[in-house]
Amino acid sequence: MRVSRAAPGPEKRGAHDRSGEGPGAGPGCAEAVVVPGRPASRVIAATAGLREPVVWVLLAIAFFTAISGKPVDGVLMLLVASGLAWDAGRRALRHPGAGDGQAPAVAWPAGRPGGRLRLAVVAGLLAGGAVYAGVVGSFSRYSWPATAGIIGLGTVVVLIGWHGPVRARPAGGRLPVAGTLVWIAVLVAGCLWELAALLQQPSLTTDSYPHPTISTLTDPVLSTSPGRSVLLFAWLALGWYLVER
Amino acid sequence: MNSHEITIIGYLVVLGGIVVLEVLATRTRVPVPSLGDLLTRAMRSRTGRVGILVAWAWVGLHFFAR
Repeated sequence: MRVSRAAPGPEKRGAHDRSGEGPGAGPGCAEAVVVPGRPASRVIAATAGLREPVVWVLLAIAFFTAISGKPVDGVLMLLVASGLAWDAGRRALRHPGAGDGQAPAVAWPAGRPGGRLRLAVVAGLLAGGAVYAGVVGSFSRYSWPATAGIIGLGTVVVLIGWHGPVRARPAGGRLPVAGTLVWIAVLVAGCLWELAALLQQPSLTTDSYPHPTISTLTDPVLSTSPGRSVLLFAWLALGWYLVER
Repeated sequence: MNSHEITIIGYLVVLGGIVVLEVLATRTRVPVPSLGDLLTRAMRSRTGRVGILVAWAWVGLHFFAR
């Protein structure tokens, strides 16, 4: 019989990932420590979320998505932005002076399975993903069943991410600055190119042949059920890759 | 060359840039991080991790949902 490698406990996971942790992420800081500071400092701490760039990016996405005729997306983005801002403020109140600390890895009871069990888990996930992609892809695009399927899975994945990484990873060294800046330049250029095409449409909700957005270019593929299923499976795979980061 | 083709070429240039950077990062000694390294670094904080996962969820919403 093959014996799986013993999974590290939560405390060992935390030991891998301490570099960026703020107070409270470690085992000894489970209790809230509300510092009885002056009211002004408490207000500043409570607004810590408003100093998070990600919150403002999400708010911008919520605004532009809503005025582009996708109010559901806008409301969901607004909810997440508000939740992140509230969470950051809450943590800042508990631990003044701490940055956006890294939460410990989620303590999955079974750890990472090994050998055949891992193979079975991966096969199960692939089969589940294929079923999900097939079922949700069979629904009409922009229908309520498709919307429910996407929102349900998206909510689960975001909540998993909110808890912390699913497994400990080495902190890693610093990234090369120049190479990182090149990456950022390329990705920002792509976003600006898409935005330029969007703004050159007759309106935000009307497609343009001369200035197609990525959505317009993918419409032919997404208009068929098999095309939707294939792209949904790719979307799922990307989500799993990100959750594993 | 019309506007449609120029727009598509722009997307292809960006896509090509991503592929080139990933190849440089994984197949050469050029000091460029891979996209996976970038994502891992960005996801070390809670806001970064949630932000990137929300961006992923938004892609699904944008292309498939109402």
